[in-house]
Amino acid sequence: MTSTSVQAPAPVAVQKRAPSLYFGGWELGLIVFMMILYAIGVWINPDFFGTTDALSAVFRDASRYGIMAIGMTFVIVNKEIDLSVGSTLGLTTVVFSILFSPTNYDMDVWPAAAAALGVALGIGLINGLLVTVLQVPSFIATLTMLFIGRGLVLGLTGGENMSYDIKTRDFPAFFSLADTNSLGFNNQIIIFLVVAAIGAVVLASTRMGFETYATGGNEQAARYSGVPTRWVRIRSYILSSLTAGIAGLMTVAQSHGLTSQEGLGAELIAIASVIVGGASIVGGRGRIAGSCLGALLVVLIDKVLREQIPVTRTQDFGGTLIEVQGSIQLPAGAVPAFLGLILLVSVLIEPWLVRRRVLQRAWARIRGLPPPLALETGGIAITGAQTRGTVAQARGVEARGFRAFFHRRDAAAIMLMVALWALGLWFRPDFWGSLDNTFAMLLAFTEIGLLAIGLTFVIANGDIDLSVGSVLAFAGAAAAFLMKEMDASPLVAVIGGFAAGAAAGVINGWLTTRLKLPAFVSTLGMFYMARGLAAWLVAGRQLSGFPETFNLIGRNVYDVLDAFGIAPTGGLWLAVAKAVSAQTIFLAVVAVLAAIVLGHMPYGQKCYAIGGNERAAAYSGINTARVRFTAFVFSALCAAAAGVIYVAYYRSFNPSAGQLRELDAIASVIIGGGSIFGGYGTIAGSLAGAAVITLIRSLLSLQIIWSDGTSFVLPQHWMNVFIGLILLFAVVGDIWLRQNNIFAIWVEGWRAAQRRPIGGTA
Amino acid sequence: MTPIVEMRGIRKSFGPVRALWDVSLYLMPGEILGLVGDNSAGKSTLMKVLTGAYIRDEGEVLVEGTETHFKSPHESRDRGIEMIYQDFALCGNMDIGQNIFLGRWPKRLGLFVHKPRMYAEAKTVLSRLKVDVNSVFQKVESLSGGRQQSVAIARAISFNPKVVIFDEPTANLSVMATERLLETMTELKRQGVAQIIISHRLTDIFEVGDRIQVLKRGQSVGDRYIRHTNEKEVLELIVSGTAETALSADDAAPKAA
Repeated sequence: MTSTSVQAPAPVAVQKRAPSLYFGGWELGLIVFMMILYAIGVWINPDFFGTTDALSAVFRDASRYGIMAIGMTFVIVNKEIDLSVGSTLGLTTVVFSILFSPTNYDMDVWPAAAAALGVALGIGLINGLLVTVLQVPSFIATLTMLFIGRGLVLGLTGGENMSYDIKTRDFPAFFSLADTNSLGFNNQIIIFLVVAAIGAVVLASTRMGFETYATGGNEQAARYSGVPTRWVRIRSYILSSLTAGIAGLMTVAQSHGLTSQEGLGAELIAIASVIVGGASIVGGRGRIAGSCLGALLVVLIDKVLREQIPVTRTQDFGGTLIEVQGSIQLPAGAVPAFLGLILLVSVLIEPWLVRRRVLQRAWARIRGLPPPLALETGGIAITGAQTRGTVAQARGVEARGFRAFFHRRDAAAIMLMVALWALGLWFRPDFWGSLDNTFAMLLAFTEIGLLAIGLTFVIANGDIDLSVGSVLAFAGAAAAFLMKEMDASPLVAVIGGFAAGAAAGVINGWLTTRLKLPAFVSTLGMFYMARGLAAWLVAGRQLSGFPETFNLIGRNVYDVLDAFGIAPTGGLWLAVAKAVSAQTIFLAVVAVLAAIVLGHMPYGQKCYAIGGNERAAAYSGINTARVRFTAFVFSALCAAAAGVIYVAYYRSFNPSAGQLRELDAIASVIIGGGSIFGGYGTIAGSLAGAAVITLIRSLLSLQIIWSDGTSFVLPQHWMNVFIGLILLFAVVGDIWLRQNNIFAIWVEGWRAAQRRPIGGTA
Repeated sequence: MTPIVEMRGIRKSFGPVRALWDVSLYLMPGEILGLVGDNSAGKSTLMKVLTGAYIRDEGEVLVEGTETHFKSPHESRDRGIEMIYQDFALCGNMDIGQNIFLGRWPKRLGLFVHKPRMYAEAKTVLSRLKVDVNSVFQKVESLSGGRQQSVAIARAISFNPKVVIFDEPTANLSVMATERLLETMTELKRQGVAQIIISHRLTDIFEVGDRIQVLKRGQSVGDRYIRHTNEKEVLELIVSGTAETALSADDAAPKAA
């Protein structure tokens, strides 16, 4: 974004009065920047930007995102993030529609709206409880809620659209909220202004707002001085979900129905709005006015990007813009690439431009004055030796044999794997143990396993890579694009796929280690950018028809050998060659190498050291930036390998490849003994975790035949809900069972309670 | 005898803040020096200048009589100066052996970590310190604060240092653990390791120290031999000493006698 040259606020060394919590230089800069942007738009294309229709459409759509940004501001000022708002919006529209629609429950409009808002409040409460009481990191808790919510939307609607246009005429009071009023602008804008005014006053002038700033600035200090920080954080999540719910109701009021895609990716716009609006991702800073203006700017950019393709929703004024942009058309799904970029750039403005006073220093240099000192950028935060009591492991030091196994962090995953396989055999003895099913499961296992291997290193470092699923798609798209559009040879395509993955990994690592962004932010940006680029490369279509030599990567050993004319003709060798595929062998090789590196080489030890205490690792001479960087690149390369294999196996590429896979992979690593806080994780454990996820997925899609002959299959749409729940259970289980050893504490307490009445006889 | 460490006329400013102004310090081999003073007196800054964590503006730092220009703690480590941080700087998720050899795990075949050698050498270092831990396989986060510090000291000792700097070593320790730490310091002194202790607790320094130096607002306000002074005099120096009236330990000695 080029806005930085005009919008930087002026932090002065000596301030005469306290800076306003309502409005400041940043907001002024945003307004100036938007006016310049709009003026340029009018100058280039007066037909579109000159009309009031376009302006009011931007304001109308910005209203919904702006309202979400207001709630999000509270969360981000609290030093947290809420990735679930898009799904919350979607779920609100679904709940309202199902209750209201004459084809379903046919309820009155107000109870339906109240119920929908109630669901939103519930999601906010769950988010808040997860991150406070259960201590799940906010990005992982809300990312999981994103997927669970999306799964619920699909499950409840069956992936179908709804419309109740006729019934809306009976309830003008509600549905006119989204109409254009007699003054010529949309009522949604009024709702937006009202919510913004309330939000601004609450954040800037009430105790509630000051508590939020205090909690985000220094939670410990706030707690010591009596601020109920836990409640403050829960409250912010509730506000965030509530605003998403309001935005959802505005959406149904406007569209008189819903699609199953409602609110998809809205969290990106909401978060980007808040960050563009001047809030700091490290908490304690942000204003409502900035977030609202940020929403306006992001929606403006989003609109410009989206207007170029004729989509049904915006046809009423879309035609003119196409003429201007000519043949430059952005395919569906490519917009997030730009939004992700905006998110990352705006996150970087605060630490790299404002904090370092780059502009003031440059200005002083131009005038020949001594440059002002850079603000204190802050050294390495003091973090003590992390004492998260692994009491279970301390006990396990002396244990031998079977007991030692139970004290391993990956023991649960291995036992669960065996139990789940046995469960499958019990459900469907005729099918489960068969060669076909085993083969199919091994194939599904390869993808999750590869991603989990790469992620194990990243998570051991205490980082996270949310982009693996998107990088999988990006690498696959690159390979497919090279073969299909450039007529490249399979070898070049494979190299191209890996190069695409490596590029994504390098950017992830660079953003995280050199520009010092939190890993979840940089990889969240890549999560959107890589998927957007993948959709862009293949122009949103499904590509297929690749050279058969390329497809051999995804075939079984028999086919590969057959292609070279050395296929086995019979015996055991034939059976093995038919059952084992090339990708399984590839996975095995990667896994063995990775296990050796992580478990027996200094590099692996360095990862554990960095995850355990990065400062201590740095003091002891470890180049922590290089180790973390390498892990990001390796993770992306694993994802790229999975992407190339995906294309070869399916003989086609679909832009939705690898969707939700990051969730599977993170869950695998955590189930397999990794810690979301870093410092733990083994390759064997992660692979066992990947097996658990694969088995759960197969079990959920298993057709269960009851004794009376009827059968039952779980609808595919509900699968994501289960996988999301499993990830949550894995993370919560890790924090509470493995790290805090809560069972032992309970057992202790129970024993103590038992002992007391008996009077010491126990 | 040449001091093992000598700092002369050290000055260090952070912007307009004068953190150190013409401070000198020396440390003889095998000596235990207590460095005391109020908050913001410049104790930690002086030690960071010594280890190379900060670059001095002016002055000289001599190690065994030769001038040095350390740019990072790694360089001073090579010359035998080790610092033990207040929070120990250990990795809780790793075991004692891995922590003692953090970042320089012994290698086998140039590629792999030589685990048997690592644990064997860790045991040797711990026995040299005369600390007993149940097992070198124990995770550091399951240890008490005192034990964690023992691991940090063991780690420092494994470099065979000539000087060990303790930053507020007793701040996080129980009474029992403090006793053990003082024993360890005496043991190190017996082995000829010179030590500098940054501390607020005069009692500890009076128990094991040889000499005590007082800093105030970035300046040295005098030093004393422990055997020639008492806590009261040192407290007076901390509260009302000035650089102009500062006496060196050797000057103050005849007076006390």
